[in-house]
Amino acid sequence: MKSLVTIHEGRAANWALRLVAGAAVIGVMLWVPTHGSNPLIDQFTNAFVLMAAAMSLNLLLGYTGQISLGHNAFFGIGAYATGIIVSRWGWSPLVTFPIAFIVAFVIGVLVSLPALRIKGIYLALVTLALGLVFPQFIKWRKLTWLTGGPRGLDNAGFNFSKKRRTYEIFGWNPFGDMRGQGAKPFYFWIAAGVVVITYLVCRGVVKSRSGRSLIAIRDNETAAAVMGVNLAGTKAMAFGISAGLCALPGCVSTILTNNVVPDSTFLSIAGSITFLIVMVIGGAGSLWGPIIGSGLYVFITQKTGDWSDEKNIPAIIRPFFSWAKTSPGTGIFAVTLIALMFVAPRGIVGVWHQHSPRLMRIVPRRAGTGTGTGTLVDTPVDDTVAGEL
Amino acid sequence: MSLLEVSTLRAGYGPVNVLVDLNLVVEEGEIVVILGSNGAGKTTTMRAISGMIARSGSITFAGQSITKSSPDAIVRAGIAQVPQGRGTFPELSVEDNLRAGAFVRNDDEIDEDLAHWFEVFPRLRERREQRAGSLSGGEQQMVAIARALMSRPKLLLCDEPSLGLAPLITQELFGIIASLNRDKGLSVLLVEQNANLAMKIARRVYLIETGRIVASGSSDELSADDSIRKAYLGF
Ligand SMILES: Nc1ncnc2c1ncn2[C@@H]1O[C@H](COP(=O)(O)OP(=O)(O)OP(=O)(O)O)[C@@H](O)[C@H]1O
Ligand SMILES: [Mg+2]
Repeated sequence: MKSLVTIHEGRAANWALRLVAGAAVIGVMLWVPTHGSNPLIDQFTNAFVLMAAAMSLNLLLGYTGQISLGHNAFFGIGAYATGIIVSRWGWSPLVTFPIAFIVAFVIGVLVSLPALRIKGIYLALVTLALGLVFPQFIKWRKLTWLTGGPRGLDNAGFNFSKKRRTYEIFGWNPFGDMRGQGAKPFYFWIAAGVVVITYLVCRGVVKSRSGRSLIAIRDNETAAAVMGVNLAGTKAMAFGISAGLCALPGCVSTILTNNVVPDSTFLSIAGSITFLIVMVIGGAGSLWGPIIGSGLYVFITQKTGDWSDEKNIPAIIRPFFSWAKTSPGTGIFAVTLIALMFVAPRGIVGVWHQHSPRLMRIVPRRAGTGTGTGTLVDTPVDDTVAGEL
Repeated sequence: MSLLEVSTLRAGYGPVNVLVDLNLVVEEGEIVVILGSNGAGKTTTMRAISGMIARSGSITFAGQSITKSSPDAIVRAGIAQVPQGRGTFPELSVEDNLRAGAFVRNDDEIDEDLAHWFEVFPRLRERREQRAGSLSGGEQQMVAIARALMSRPKLLLCDEPSLGLAPLITQELFGIIASLNRDKGLSVLLVEQNANLAMKIARRVYLIETGRIVASGSSDELSADDSIRKAYLGF
């Protein structure tokens, strides 16, 4: 395929491209919390929470091919780890992140034990059971002393003093006014930090040798085993890391709302479904897929949030959606999902990979052999042996 | 001491034993071929040797018992398997498929080996960034073989490499296997339906029927045997 621009990896043009992309991301990330409106900051923060959760699921499903419909439970473990530790023991919310990771990691590994023997639809059922049972377990009367039962836990986030406090760096105020609503930029940074950590962990895992073995397991378990990949260990590890990572946005969700209740969306099975959907729409098995999917999901649900009132629907598409009694955001997303499965089974990132070469091609660096340019010689058949045959 | 000694091997799936009392040896530097009809237990034999299924009896490799070893320990010991069918990782690039083959290695010569196998399989070098799933059947089989070789095995288990390949490609593959054996002393245990072709590169042959070895001998001896020739060589 002929492309408009060809860029060689590692050359100046490639670095310039990376620089521009990086600068754009950093620019948005700095502008939003310092100059954006509160609803905009909220929107980003919520998108970050969803992103981190979808990325953690992607590590498991997108890369190892193990389905989990129970990730809401791991999200909930994070949410409750923060809730319990902060509201019952009064520790700082920030120290709850590593604790939540470890607890969810251990439980994830335990859940993976049956997952080592079962696959596909059966694994979906086992994890679905976990996802369904989690809110019930939290509401269990005998655990009320710890979890607060159906009413959940309050005062589970940061406890800012009434006094106005700002942290300025050279006249620039990255965290905003750390009091009540003013703490939004601060929460933005926490959520962004979780996304960055999740991204780096996923990237680290995927680009490493073990990442190759994860994909190998997904693609061809038998062949992976005869390559010397330890199936049980690798799968359990992937499950544990995925579960641990999914707990982190859970912690953030508690910090954001300053409380945790067992029936909030992401803690129930709807959470798992949402993580799954945004991951698939963005592109499973790619690092950026869940990020793009989550951004789009939050954008659409936000835009369509007030569409239950017909007047708010843009005139062009009003005839299609005016029947909706409630906000059609989820419905639109569902239709998008169905349509996308036909035109782009690999999600938005898949579409990009398919069509971007027409626009621009980045030639990867060549490893290994000398010449570097693929010579178009056909395979020389070993004459002597071929002759004997 | 033979490189691989399999004796009184029993193996199967669940309660059913497919292999009953199977014995075979592969000497260092040999190509040995296993012939047998569909369902005779050839693939099962390969899986038992590479540790993929439950087995009992005795398997020793280079003097070490591997009867109870895990698949990754067996790869580390020096046995690599090319599984039956297109055993590639379709979503990984050709290069990453080969790198996956070096999974058990920890040395710093992996890049060198990669370059080397791209010399041996120039078709793969041209397609190194392509998804393995988008290669032709023959090219995928080359990927599977090159990938197995990336673990630097002493013994290569090759399960029907010719399955679904055009005769010319099959010849090319067999040519490469034969030259690896000749030039590098690689030992090969080969399962093959194309008996004519296989017996040309193999030194010795085993015939397997319902989980037992029913005949064995040098390629020449067996192809001289009338009944065997009729049953397996078709002339
Ligand atoms: N995964 C499995 N579970 C249960 N039984 C199996 C399994 N794989 C193979 N078998 C059975 O084991 C027997 C031997 O199968 P095997 O695959 O070893 O045959 P084969 O000699 O390789 O045949 P082919 O030439 O068709 O590849 C067959 O009866 C088959 O039905
Ligand atoms: Mg077979």
